[in-house]
Amino acid sequence: MSDEKKSGTELHVLTAPLQTETIQTIRRLADNKPKGFWGKLTSNLQFIRGRGALEISVVAVVLLVAYSIWSLADPENFRFLSEQNISGVLTQSVPLLGILAIAVGILMVAGEFDLSLGFALAFNAVIFIRILEWTGNIWIGVIGGILSGTLVALINGLIVVWTKIPSFIATLGMGFFWGGAGLFVNGPNSVSLPNEYTKDGNLFHFTFAQDFGWFRSQIIWLVIIGTLAWYFLHRHKLGNHIFAVGGNPAAAKAISIDPNKVKLMSFGIYGALVGLSSVIFIARIPSVSPAGTTTQDFTLFAIAAAVVGGASLVGGKGSVFGMIVGAALIELIKDGLILGFDAGIYLQLFVGVTIVLAAVFNKYMEGKAS
Amino acid sequence: MSNELLRLDGVTKRYGPNTVLKDVSFTINKNEVVGLLGDNGAGKSTLVKIMSGVVPMTEGSYSWEGKAVPNVNRAETERLGVETIFQDSALVPQMSISRNIFMGREMTNALGFMKIKKMDDIASEILDTVVTIEGIKSSKQLVQSLSGGQAQAVAIARAVHFKRSLLILDEPTSALAVRATEALLDYLVQLKSEGVSSVLVTHNLHHAFQVCDRHIVMNHGKKILDVKREETTVEELTAAVVGGAEGLEKYRANKKK
Ligand SMILES: Nc1ncnc2c1ncn2[C@@H]1O[C@H](COP(=O)(O)OP(=O)(O)OP(=O)(O)O)[C@@H](O)[C@H]1O
Ligand SMILES: [Mg+2]
Repeated sequence: MSDEKKSGTELHVLTAPLQTETIQTIRRLADNKPKGFWGKLTSNLQFIRGRGALEISVVAVVLLVAYSIWSLADPENFRFLSEQNISGVLTQSVPLLGILAIAVGILMVAGEFDLSLGFALAFNAVIFIRILEWTGNIWIGVIGGILSGTLVALINGLIVVWTKIPSFIATLGMGFFWGGAGLFVNGPNSVSLPNEYTKDGNLFHFTFAQDFGWFRSQIIWLVIIGTLAWYFLHRHKLGNHIFAVGGNPAAAKAISIDPNKVKLMSFGIYGALVGLSSVIFIARIPSVSPAGTTTQDFTLFAIAAAVVGGASLVGGKGSVFGMIVGAALIELIKDGLILGFDAGIYLQLFVGVTIVLAAVFNKYMEGKAS
Repeated sequence: MSNELLRLDGVTKRYGPNTVLKDVSFTINKNEVVGLLGDNGAGKSTLVKIMSGVVPMTEGSYSWEGKAVPNVNRAETERLGVETIFQDSALVPQMSISRNIFMGREMTNALGFMKIKKMDDIASEILDTVVTIEGIKSSKQLVQSLSGGQAQAVAIARAVHFKRSLLILDEPTSALAVRATEALLDYLVQLKSEGVSSVLVTHNLHHAFQVCDRHIVMNHGKKILDVKREETTVEELTAAVVGGAEGLEKYRANKKK
């Protein structure tokens, strides 16, 4: 039989003595470490490539430098470096989208989406204001808003985990539900923060929307949330489990990580951040539609920011730094369009192009990742 | 004292209407390398998943050192010291080698924050000592950038690092070159002397015959042969794997003549 002949030669190969010298000359990984400052730096940069947000950060910095030069050359027409633009626009818009991008990004790393974000933002704001009205205590309201966000997302998450329907579909449906729930709780009138909480000297206003000259409170929130999220996602074992489950749930399961628990945890963290964002949002824009019409755009902008920052649409990939840079880049493009071209109406067009380009770019870098 | 490590009794596994394993019983002893053989779809990987607690059995019982284990799951088998190299989906491609090796068993401080550098260093050390395979540059490399054989080496390295009493290998050598295969087989024999048993699933009967003390042959979900090395030959194993129970009978009848 030819079969036997074939295996016969295999046996022969296998019983041949091993060439021990070749084994000894194999380079040892442990001895192969980069040495010196530059060696370490280039080696680390090499491993960041295609994983984090190195390239997109370069794009953001180039844009920032270009805007700054333009603004210095023509301060009258391109008021990018003005206090009014930096404090009044950027340090408010970037943090809000940044925190939402981190929320969405963590969920995307776990391999899930939440298309109900815009509606949930409004619903949490309604709950926040309602609790404030009932209790008269704004801090209980803040906690209520954050809990509401967590609960809303956990309900979405439970539906996804239990029914196994794609989160895309489940949260599309639940989005309408939460929009309706906002109307049900509040009626059709928009909710707004009582005036006393929008004035200087108020502690709530100080915490969430204070104007410090060149920056506002929101930027501090972005720094805090960004730092915590980074340590959690990239340095804590639970963050590591999120990557594992998003990357390959079967492999995670085989090593006794429960994908359902990890996904629910991700929904919970995402939801708490959305709840916080509702508070930050209503602190700045004191009137929100309960049905979610004011906040709808955030859903796709937040997903876009995460994608621009390198998060994968199929899970297992993303970085907190990238999510923040993605949000900053989108807001910078918006800002530049409005300031330089008075082209606010074409915003969507440019943001759309950016998202597609960034996705193509990330795909290309993925192929080059080491 | 009995020498028994793991025993399966009357294990049946059904996926919906499909019965994939039918009343399978066998024992893995201490200090033993057992070959688990059989044609494609015979049920080997399913048995492996049941032994490692990843998939529950429909009927049957699982015991460890003579004691029944009522709820077999992965956390339980991990506690017992069972480590498995799965045929499919063992690694997360988007994660680095070192994070794959320590996935779910991260080295952390009291608050759960990972000791990244320590894990990277130990991962390099494991890759150097356990599987000698060419071309891996660093333990920080992403698994998706590895060749099939290199990825397999990482899966092997992980199982070998964490094993304590039983190492189950589901076709571990399918993507390895001759030298790495030989090193792995030698290693299984060496493990015996360290008190670690192994179960080797392979389609290469010569590999199995080279290192296994006992052979179990599966066919269409049933165990059709369970023999010690001394009592069988490569030819007999081939007949059982290729021809099933009938093939085995025919072979034995022919031999008697
Ligand atoms: N999750 C599942 N659902 C339904 N049927 C399954 C499932 N997993 C395995 N099977 C079936 O069980 C049978 C045994 O599969 P198994 O993977 O155990 O075979 P195997 O002996 O490992 O084969 P191979 O040598 O090809 O790896 C096959 O017929 C397969 O189709
Ligand atoms: Mg198999």
